[in-house]
Amino acid sequence: MGRVWPFHGGVHPPENKLQSNQSAIVPMPVPKQLVLPLNQHIGAPAKCLIEVGTKVLKGQLIASAQGFVSANLHAPSSGIITAIEERTLPHPSALMDLCIVIDTDGQDQWVDHAGIDPLSVHKGKLLQCIRSAGITGMGGAGFPSAVKLQAKSKINTLIINAAECEPYITADDRLIREYSEQIIAGIQIIRQLLDQPACIIGIEDNKAEAIAILSQALTGIDGIAVAVIPTKYPSGGEKQLIQILTGQQVPHGGIPADLGLVCHNVGTAKAIADAVLLGQPLISRVTTVTGKAAAKAGNYQVLIGTQVSDLMAFAEVDLAATSRLVMGGPMMGFTLTDHQVSVVKSTNCILASSELELAPVADHHACIRCGQCEVVCPAELLPQQLFWFAKAEEFDKAQSHNLADCIECGACAWVCPSQIPLVQYYRFAKGRVKTLHAETQLAEHARLRFETREQRLIDEKLAKEEKRKARAVAAAAAQAAKRAANPDAEDPIAAALARVNQQKQAAATSFTAEPPEDAYKALKTAAAITRTKLKKSSKALTDALASGHEQVESLQTTVDQLTLKADAAKAALSAYETKLGLDPEHEKQLQVTAAKAGAVVRKLEKSLATAEDAAAIEAQIVIAKTAHATANQALETYQHKSTALQQQTQES
Amino acid sequence: MQSLYFAIMVLALLALVFGAILGFAAIRFKVDGDPIVDQIDNLLPQTQCGQCGHPGCRPYAEAIANGEAINHCPPGGESTIKALADLLDVEAIPLDAEHGTEAVRTIAYIREDECIGCTKCIQACPVDAILGAAKQMHTVIVDECTGCDLCVEPCPVDCIDMLPIEVTPASWHWQPPTDIIATSNHAHHAAPQGDVSHG
Repeated sequence: MGRVWPFHGGVHPPENKLQSNQSAIVPMPVPKQLVLPLNQHIGAPAKCLIEVGTKVLKGQLIASAQGFVSANLHAPSSGIITAIEERTLPHPSALMDLCIVIDTDGQDQWVDHAGIDPLSVHKGKLLQCIRSAGITGMGGAGFPSAVKLQAKSKINTLIINAAECEPYITADDRLIREYSEQIIAGIQIIRQLLDQPACIIGIEDNKAEAIAILSQALTGIDGIAVAVIPTKYPSGGEKQLIQILTGQQVPHGGIPADLGLVCHNVGTAKAIADAVLLGQPLISRVTTVTGKAAAKAGNYQVLIGTQVSDLMAFAEVDLAATSRLVMGGPMMGFTLTDHQVSVVKSTNCILASSELELAPVADHHACIRCGQCEVVCPAELLPQQLFWFAKAEEFDKAQSHNLADCIECGACAWVCPSQIPLVQYYRFAKGRVKTLHAETQLAEHARLRFETREQRLIDEKLAKEEKRKARAVAAAAAQAAKRAANPDAEDPIAAALARVNQQKQAAATSFTAEPPEDAYKALKTAAAITRTKLKKSSKALTDALASGHEQVESLQTTVDQLTLKADAAKAALSAYETKLGLDPEHEKQLQVTAAKAGAVVRKLEKSLATAEDAAAIEAQIVIAKTAHATANQALETYQHKSTALQQQTQES
Repeated sequence: MQSLYFAIMVLALLALVFGAILGFAAIRFKVDGDPIVDQIDNLLPQTQCGQCGHPGCRPYAEAIANGEAINHCPPGGESTIKALADLLDVEAIPLDAEHGTEAVRTIAYIREDECIGCTKCIQACPVDAILGAAKQMHTVIVDECTGCDLCVEPCPVDCIDMLPIEVTPASWHWQPPTDIIATSNHAHHAAPQGDVSHG
């Protein structure tokens, strides 16, 4: 029996193991339905290999590992695949994910399988055998075991974790008592894979019977020692057990393999033995069902994928008496809100606690800075500081206080007199740190892509410009060559220019040939247009001045220019008129007189319709009509004269 | 009098020597570019959305270095403002609502049945996250999308949706406990205290 070292902190919660470790493991009958999540392990989810409606046999591969860190999944019993759909996961988030649903046929018919003799095969084959059996760590974390057995560095010591330090759980205890031969066989296979390192089985001193059985089974076997360690939570934590058994600390951010160590759970050792010696993949496990609400508390051999509700019914759990249903132990487990979730490869305990066993989540008080949490922290952190940082969302500071080293054992929360849910704060902080880290990486990636794109666009633009230049040069050269070949040919550009010039000149002459009457009209129109433009611009200017618009100055210039233009147009018009001897004022006067006379006539005619002394009005109408006729005649005479004048000018 | 000349000579000599050292250092340890711009750029979310009024995150980083306000980045939100305030040693100010409000991060999805293959969104995407060709269906490479929203407006058939990122069991993380302090006024005192453990 080897020497043991102490580790910092730790707590002694009531063990509560007697409720479930007194009876032998009971195999649970095949349930009607099995639900297998595709991702029961750490790493990439397995890839589904079967379709709905397929008939599967017990032990048949139904989903294969994707990538290095992943695990195969096998049908735990024979039956028909009835669905591949999203179901609630046995996860604190209670989110949904893809699961394979098997309706069992009750025959529990095995697929063809056979074990191999580990001593007669090479390591690669052995490792392949373990990998294809889909074995993951049975202790709780669910890391694919084959990955840990493929050590890159030399492993000096193999540590088998049989501490089972968490209260209530007795699955490993019973497993050792009943399957010590298989466990030792599994350990020998692991040792063979790792080039025969020394092996220490760490087991807490509260499992006297298991220790006795194990020691007896080990008589005559060299290289495997049992180390009995004092019962203290969390001595079963990987890093804590390593420190207890070797006195070494796993460095920050490192793994046990850095120290030449590797750690496996007893359950994993048994699963490895079953896979290699019997050819049976990991399709069932021992799960403790305990708590005051469970009438038949004990350990059960449960098929992976069994619904928690089925298991509870089998263990006669009184749902009414259950105040909190926990998957895992009371220290590190999580509360299940939905009972329709599966037992997975890492489910070691279902704890149906009555109200007096586990306090319902109570209101917590303010931190009184008692320092108890620091005393019990097995990772030698400052839980109180981490709590403040997590609460204030100062994740940088939390990280610099080694938040990542927290193993979330819950010892700090257990001793906290203010009942602060410390672990939840650390989990939250860890999650946020992870998210922030991922976001930073995404941002970096996006920046790279953005910069690459910008560069590409610039390059494309430059390349286009280059091409254009090259084309221009080539065209010029071709043109020159053409001219050199035929020097007498007319230059097409010069010819085109000459044509345009000719057209322009023709247009200019036609303008001068315009009849003077049209010229007079044109001048009139030009004067009117400039007048309107000026009016508009002046209005805009006044508006702009009133509203203090910024374009006042430019408007002012426009108005000035238009005034000049309008004046010029007016001057041109009057010059033309004088030249012809026309008097527009006189014409206007004549027009007005005629119009007025017309209006008088119309008025009189109107009043005639209603008037009484029609004769008097009729006389007036006659006078007015004469006046109107005279005015019209004067206007006509004038217009005639003016037309004659214009014609005269035209002829001359 | 001689000591005065001597002193002046010594000082002049020292000035020359130190001048030479400084000149050498200025060339030897020359820093290319503006490191503060890089530092600011590193804190920005790199969404390249242009909501700050600049064509990308780096131009905004340059603008901040030249004195623009640090609260014009809605995708970065309060946390970015805080980080920038820490870096530049200025006071953190609330997000300028004129540039938008902090929202859940979204990802663009093209309703592929409706896409007519016009390539307009491809040209708008600042990070080349849209795949497609003329008259062929386009699709968004979800892992590359920054959720900048720039592809939505040019789409002539309006077939791009900005959807919030779904929480998966892998991306889920714990929320902080709802902060009920038993001693505070609005706490519920009904919860009985357990006698065993409360892990």
